[in-house]
Amino acid sequence: MAAQSYGLVATFDSAPAIYEAAKKVRDAGYKHWDCITPFPIHGLDGAMGLKRSIVPRFSLVGGLCGFSVGMGLIYFTSAIDYPLIVGGKPFFSPLYAFPVAYELTILFTAFATIFGMFFTNRLPMHYHPVLKLDRIADAQDDKFLIVIESRDPKFNAAHTQALLEAAGGKAIAEIEA
Amino acid sequence: MSTHAATASSSLPAETAAPAGASKALVVGIVGILLTAAGLFVPGNGKVIALTWLVGLSFWVAIAIGMLLLVMIHHIFDASWSVVLRRQFEHGLSAFKWLGLLFVPLLVATWVKPGSVWKWTNLDYQLHGHGTVGEDILYVKKAAFLNPTMLTVMTVAFFGLWMFLSARLRKASFTQDTDGDIKWTFHNRVTAAAGLFFTALTLTAASIYWIKSLEYHWFSTMYGVWFFANCARGALAIGVLVLLWLYARGDLKGILNTNHMHSVGQLVFAFTVFWAYISFSQYFLIWGANIPEETFWYNLREINADGFANQWKWVGMALLFGHFLFPFLYLLSYKNKIIHSRIKFIVICILATILLDMCYNILPALKDAHGDAKPFLSLNLLWVATSVIGIGGVCVWSYLRSFATTKLIPIRDPRIGECLTHHE
Amino acid sequence: MAHADTTVAKPAILAEVKPASLPRAELVENNRSFAWVTDKICGIIEGKTPTWWWVCFTLACALASFTVMGIVYLVSAGVGVWGLANPVNWGWAIVNFVFWIGIGHAGTLISAILCLLRQKWRTSINRAAEAMTIFAVVCAGIFPVFHVGRVWFAWFLFPIPNANGIWQNFRSPLEWDVFAVSTYGTVSVLFWYVGLIPDLAVLRDRFNRAGNKLRATLYGIFAMGWRGSNRNWSNYEMAYLILAGVSTPLVLSVHTIVSFDFAISLLPGWHTTIFPPYFVAGAIFSGFGMVLTLMLPLRAIYKMEDLITQYHIDCMCKIVLATGTIVGYAYGMEFFIAWYGANPYEGFAFINRAFGNYAWAYWIMIACNVITPQFFWFKKVRQNTAFVWVLSIFVNVGMWFERFVITVTSLARDFLPSSWGYYSPTIVDIMTFFGTFGVFSVLFLLFIRFLPVMPMAEIKAVMPQADPHAGHDHH
Repeated sequence: MAAQSYGLVATFDSAPAIYEAAKKVRDAGYKHWDCITPFPIHGLDGAMGLKRSIVPRFSLVGGLCGFSVGMGLIYFTSAIDYPLIVGGKPFFSPLYAFPVAYELTILFTAFATIFGMFFTNRLPMHYHPVLKLDRIADAQDDKFLIVIESRDPKFNAAHTQALLEAAGGKAIAEIEA
Repeated sequence: MSTHAATASSSLPAETAAPAGASKALVVGIVGILLTAAGLFVPGNGKVIALTWLVGLSFWVAIAIGMLLLVMIHHIFDASWSVVLRRQFEHGLSAFKWLGLLFVPLLVATWVKPGSVWKWTNLDYQLHGHGTVGEDILYVKKAAFLNPTMLTVMTVAFFGLWMFLSARLRKASFTQDTDGDIKWTFHNRVTAAAGLFFTALTLTAASIYWIKSLEYHWFSTMYGVWFFANCARGALAIGVLVLLWLYARGDLKGILNTNHMHSVGQLVFAFTVFWAYISFSQYFLIWGANIPEETFWYNLREINADGFANQWKWVGMALLFGHFLFPFLYLLSYKNKIIHSRIKFIVICILATILLDMCYNILPALKDAHGDAKPFLSLNLLWVATSVIGIGGVCVWSYLRSFATTKLIPIRDPRIGECLTHHE
Repeated sequence: MAHADTTVAKPAILAEVKPASLPRAELVENNRSFAWVTDKICGIIEGKTPTWWWVCFTLACALASFTVMGIVYLVSAGVGVWGLANPVNWGWAIVNFVFWIGIGHAGTLISAILCLLRQKWRTSINRAAEAMTIFAVVCAGIFPVFHVGRVWFAWFLFPIPNANGIWQNFRSPLEWDVFAVSTYGTVSVLFWYVGLIPDLAVLRDRFNRAGNKLRATLYGIFAMGWRGSNRNWSNYEMAYLILAGVSTPLVLSVHTIVSFDFAISLLPGWHTTIFPPYFVAGAIFSGFGMVLTLMLPLRAIYKMEDLITQYHIDCMCKIVLATGTIVGYAYGMEFFIAWYGANPYEGFAFINRAFGNYAWAYWIMIACNVITPQFFWFKKVRQNTAFVWVLSIFVNVGMWFERFVITVTSLARDFLPSSWGYYSPTIVDIMTFFGTFGVFSVLFLLFIRFLPVMPMAEIKAVMPQADPHAGHDHH
């Protein structure tokens, strides 16, 4: 390998296998590593030692913005800028303003959630060393991978390889950066 | 079964503890009922006692109906996480016969002194500024539905149906503990499928007869759904309190986990939103069309004849913020659903606001000389308290008696395994 | 597993627990592997376009052209070419709008609400159902947009300053509809797209491996570089759950706001407080009918019996039954309170529906909505897929008629007999409406040809092999 490799990859054949292996990698103290799975495995977040996702915070901000924008828009247009008497209803009432404000709350929450998801996931990222692996198609299908990055302070080509072997990994190889 | 005292079956603590707690509950119940009855001796207080008694009864009957519905929904969905909760609801269902019995005074009052509870039970009742009920075309058109005979027959039928369904569901569930026969699960599904339909109809009719007809000029197709929303909320709130009580006693340690609390917390949240949806729709549509024949019911609860806001307007605001907005925002948080003290706080709030909602719907039937609703903050609240405590004490007694007769959890239920390992 | 208290001894009662045996239905039958699922679903996209697809596509395009012609004629000649006239100023246009929006709701229900209720069986139908939602919203949107007459001013509905010099009327439910339907369309597309990302990645990598760089790039662009990282899955699952949590109140609110179009008024037969949940239940009812109509043939053609099992069909039939019964409850309540309220106009509205000049529409509605779902009580019926398919068509026919009965009867005969009239659609109305089935079919056929018709990742996640604790001894 000319350049320093991105890290090591190991293949696992089943969900229980990668689950147990992940716990071992977590317990060994690695921080810059990941599991590649074709679907989300229940409990794998805990096995990897991941914290709860922060996407809900984005959603909450989005929701609050949406509600305020909705109520504010209607208040401004109907009570301040050009008040008109319609059907004997008051210029502004939170009652009739509610449907629109509610919809905007949901719309903004959805936008914020999706933005939050892309942001926390650092997506789109069309280039990534893992995507160049031959086995990536299998990893999206029915195989599971553990990838440990070489930039991790605990990374050591020999020890990390040994850990992956002990955890049951197969076809352990280097990933080119 | 272990024979060591240290690891005695956890059905044992229940057997010894329940009778003591049960009789205490019964004493509290009887005292509450007697205090409410004492209120009858205050001159001119008859209608107040009748309506506050109705508030207390509606509160507890709603909770019982909610438990019945949730048990049946559990069976229809073939749910797993709620198996342990369902057993506690089944114990709660034993209260129906006592609630039926406690309803009798209202029926007796209707026959002995017509018009003392529902004004349409007395054809000679003077309507404020109109004439008598018997002369009121709006009554005459529905006299076939609203009369003391129909009221009595229907009320008996409602309680009969609820007691019948409760008995079937309880028997099947309790018997399955002993023989583990899968046929009881199928039996329950059949009961649930038919039962849901008839319970929906009867709870709608009950809410119309007992509560909506207090103001019989008014109508709303949504009323049964509103009542259902409070039934579900009340049952879930009591369910949470029961689960937490059993956990604190040690019975459910190792059985009830964080995920159960999260799931039930999500249901409490969902029905909070549902109640708000229903109540908002009813209010909003009547507000939007602005037809006096419909708006008067809400106007009674907002302004007096002199045009100034009355206390009921603030009760309505308290419902909006206390029964919806506050629990809604509170229950968005994961922690607030799983930490026992936190979820206990919010379900107690919800129970209080359900009671407030019942007061909001029932008590404005008490009118003063101008035809305005009597204020919320008054001595009448004392009788509401004694009624709720009195009837509640009897319900708690009934629950504890039933609790002592069975296993803590449905040990042979096909979904108990999934329940015990409930994970997100 | 319960992690509550590891220090406390387990309660002794746990030793007595011995569940009666009632295995849950397998969600994927015949012990299929993950690879089988991937191959089955990707195979449809990777293979050659089947002849039946071309035939259907051609027919769908032909049918869709009716809508195009109808709309072009409408815009060039004016709204008079439709049958709308005093007193019935809302006719087929709004009926068709509510019809299509209602159908769309089942998709969101399956994706969002069944997700929140943890009903795992939703996984094989939710992608197609969500696609159905989006295409239904497209078809629905055609009507309010074009019924305004001067379509080039349709943007006046949005809260931006316009040539009229006044702001939009936010007190009107029709304005709320603008926000509701726009939000619904947008969020549905976003939710559907987010769900597609992992599957697009699968296709990208498969095409790469097969050497088809063009298709790999096309799918790859939209896959956003998804690589299956569990750190990504963690955020993804949270976002998905939140979107499901937000789509649920959205779908309930959209049809509620649609019901407000009617219920906020004071017309007898329209102004009744139960409309919101009644419309929502009706929407779910019709939507599931459409899901069955679409999925049963799809299942047969692509031999998906292992993925859309009898259990799935059972669940869908039961939901049709339940929501149909709720609709029946609402019919009963409306009728009862019309009598109880003693309002002569309200009472007349209901007698007129059953025995007036639109009685034929009313009884079709009752037969289709109240009677047909009752067949689903019977297991034998639910297991006969051809019969279920026929019943699902009746469900949708019935729901169209329900909106027709509600809209037209209350307008045709309202308070003053001197204003009474009879409404008939014109050929333009009819062609435009039936053409929308073509529009829907074109979009749906394109979807099944080019996109994964089922969410592979979600299906795999509910298969027994996905359980990381499999093989360990636990309850």
